[in-house]
Amino acid sequence: MQDPDPRTLARAREGDLGAFEDLVRSYQADVWRFAYHFTRDHALAEDVTQEAFLRAFRFLRSFRGDSKFTSWLFRIARNCAMDAIRRRKGHETREAPPSMGPPDPEARAELHAALAAVSDEHREPFLLIEVFGLSYQETADVLNLRVGTVKSRMHRARLAMMHALAVEEDAGGL
Amino acid sequence: MDCERLQAAVSARMDGERLSARLAAEVDRHLATCAACATFERTAWRLRERARFELAPAVPDLVEPIMAAVREAPGRRPGRLLQAVPGRRSATIPRRPRSPGRLAPVAAALVVGLVAGSLSMGGPWRQSRRATVASAEQVTEGVARAAALLTAYQARFSVTEHHFAPDLPVRELSMGVWFRAPDRFRLDVTDHTQYPARDRTPTDLRLVVNGSAWSSTAPSACPVGTCPPRTTVITNRVPFSGSTPTPTDLILPMNALADAHELQVVGRSAVLGRRAIRVRLTFEQAQPLFPFLSLGGSWRPFFPGDRVDLWLDATSWFPLRYEVFPAPGRERAQWALRFGLPPEPPGRPVFQVNALSVSEQPPPSSTFRIPTGRGTQDQGARTVPLSDLRKEAGFDPVVPEQVEGLDPYRAVLPAPADRSAAPETVISYSKGLNWLKVGETRGWTGDAPYGPVGLHAEEVRLPGGGVAYYEPATDEQGRRLSIHAEGIDLYLETTLPRDQLLRVAASLPVSGVPIPEAWRIRRSADGVTERLPLAAAVSRVRFPVMQPGPDGLPDGFALASSELVTVRHVGGLTLYFQATDSDLGVGPIRLHEEPSPELPPASSAAQSRVEVRGQVGRWTPDRHQLEWVEDGVYYSIDAPGLDLPGVLAVADSLVPVEGPATTTPSPLATPPDASTAPSASPPGGVLP
Repeated sequence: MQDPDPRTLARAREGDLGAFEDLVRSYQADVWRFAYHFTRDHALAEDVTQEAFLRAFRFLRSFRGDSKFTSWLFRIARNCAMDAIRRRKGHETREAPPSMGPPDPEARAELHAALAAVSDEHREPFLLIEVFGLSYQETADVLNLRVGTVKSRMHRARLAMMHALAVEEDAGGL
Repeated sequence: MDCERLQAAVSARMDGERLSARLAAEVDRHLATCAACATFERTAWRLRERARFELAPAVPDLVEPIMAAVREAPGRRPGRLLQAVPGRRSATIPRRPRSPGRLAPVAAALVVGLVAGSLSMGGPWRQSRRATVASAEQVTEGVARAAALLTAYQARFSVTEHHFAPDLPVRELSMGVWFRAPDRFRLDVTDHTQYPARDRTPTDLRLVVNGSAWSSTAPSACPVGTCPPRTTVITNRVPFSGSTPTPTDLILPMNALADAHELQVVGRSAVLGRRAIRVRLTFEQAQPLFPFLSLGGSWRPFFPGDRVDLWLDATSWFPLRYEVFPAPGRERAQWALRFGLPPEPPGRPVFQVNALSVSEQPPPSSTFRIPTGRGTQDQGARTVPLSDLRKEAGFDPVVPEQVEGLDPYRAVLPAPADRSAAPETVISYSKGLNWLKVGETRGWTGDAPYGPVGLHAEEVRLPGGGVAYYEPATDEQGRRLSIHAEGIDLYLETTLPRDQLLRVAASLPVSGVPIPEAWRIRRSADGVTERLPLAAAVSRVRFPVMQPGPDGLPDGFALASSELVTVRHVGGLTLYFQATDSDLGVGPIRLHEEPSPELPPASSAAQSRVEVRGQVGRWTPDRHQLEWVEDGVYYSIDAPGLDLPGVLAVADSLVPVEGPATTTPSPLATPPDASTAPSASPPGGVLP
């Protein structure tokens, strides 16, 4: 995932709302997708996205550039998603996956089922790396882990996903 | 090697981690012999494709609610925030990366402009004759002819912009343009809008070009209040440099109207009492008429497909009026929603430029005074008398025997890139708004054609037999040609039409040869890319090659180059198509074909499935890329600037390349005179 133009980032840090809006425009879709995979709830993912950008705006001045901006933003989004899930506990309303347009709802449902079946510690790196295309270092920054840990979890996540989808693989599906 | 360790390495390599050369070799050897690990790798890639394809749900657009929440947030640091223009900044059409000069922060208004109301229509117009113009070609030729003769110009325009912001439905600005041949130009934009909030900065702009100096002034970015102007000054620039452009299309739209295929003559009418010809083009194509959008300040967004109607004076060809009308359709409506624009019916203009006065009176020299600025950059190009060039450069630069009636203008020695760089010379010529420059160096050590010409440029045969490499005009650069000859490398860049450029090049006392093998063949860890004439490339692959049919490519596009791409002993083919005259937004179109039973793994989260030629294909909007597999061959078309229907039209038109006789994809590839044979008819020595 590409980081923003440093000039845009600098202007946003100085409080330029126009520049911050550029950042929102560039990353809101990815943040929403990421939030959705955590919450599996359309409306909650919207709330998380909004909250994540609000926090990002509030703390932008504290962003020192030690990690990539996108890693920092995802870390915030992850924290917001965790908070939202904690608050939601007790009244679970997980939705079916939203429609993506083209067909094959069955395959999608299977994949979501497989993803739901693997543990959180494997699902997170899998999503960040496979779906969002982050590098190990960026994933490590988001999840606050060592790169080596990300690497081994990602490998185990792959094996777990393959195992969960093994039935279809046997049937020639995967 | 144990399989678990190996699979972990495969996993890491898939995710972009670099393996040591030793481990990588070990992995490859093992994969070749271990079925279980090979299955693991294959399954992992399929999983990636499925994940990226299947896990991407439709995403809501949350920009507006997020920004509304940010604006209302209690933690918002009052006094530190720019109360700016919510959601509106400079033009939002996708652009290619710009050279730094174009992006240089520019600043505000030394208000020279008179308010619109005090301007009057007048000036010594040319004697009106009965207009005989009817076709798009005549418009293109008429504008080019007028540009060649113009020596001076000054004009004032009123500018009306609609839907800048919800609390500012209309903005009124004025624009002044001054020119004196060969190389003095000024553009002023003065913002007369009464802004409701005090801390909004008016869009006051100035651009001045005066020979070797160039300056731009525009509002700086600032956190609060009215932002002070910032001036950038460039000195000792190379003549007619693309990085410090002179937007002369405001005077005569030579570039926007260069390609008769891209414009439509819709009629005649009277504008301001003048007989005018009304032509129509897309906003994307008309971009050179809107140079102020990229100079700085704040502007409403424009959709690339919006329609621009332009009224040209039927005798002088000067623009008298131009208006932007919203394109119809759902895609435009969705785009407008993203910017919070109100409904914009296609029949009502959203941006209007109207001439108030136009004249060919020479402006006083003081008009072109370069302001003093803090950020002066010296580009180091030294102007020297033509007679001293030999002494200064250490070689006797070649000059064309004929330059289409242009006059010698300035010769410079550009600043060398580093101490060891071979000396270069640039000799420029001009007349009216036209210019030509010839750059030269000896002992060129680069690994690509010399000058602003890329590796995929079209190979052309010059009248007289030499070979050269051609690229069309863009909104920043003229038509370009690079020539590689024994011990000498040259480039030419010009506003002149393609056929004239080729004639000038043919009159040079050098005969270009095909580019050397070292440039033609590029090797990397992944494989080998070899530029070849199409027929030769086709003969070296093992699948039937397809190429766009005559109606598939956008008008004016033709094959520029073809490449054989060999990765792991599998030969594929890449064809590049470029515009013949000017390329204002579409960019080169790339068609790649290689044998493969399936699509490669998905590489972007934002992809969707589309039907292509009866197959399920994949569309990646951010790359303008369409991919599909047909009869065991994988195809991908990359067409920056084309939307999905445009790319599908290219795909649908594909027909097999049958033999050497059909290697010209479009009749447009072969200009009427046979002097510019496309690369499909190879000059001797190119084929391996």
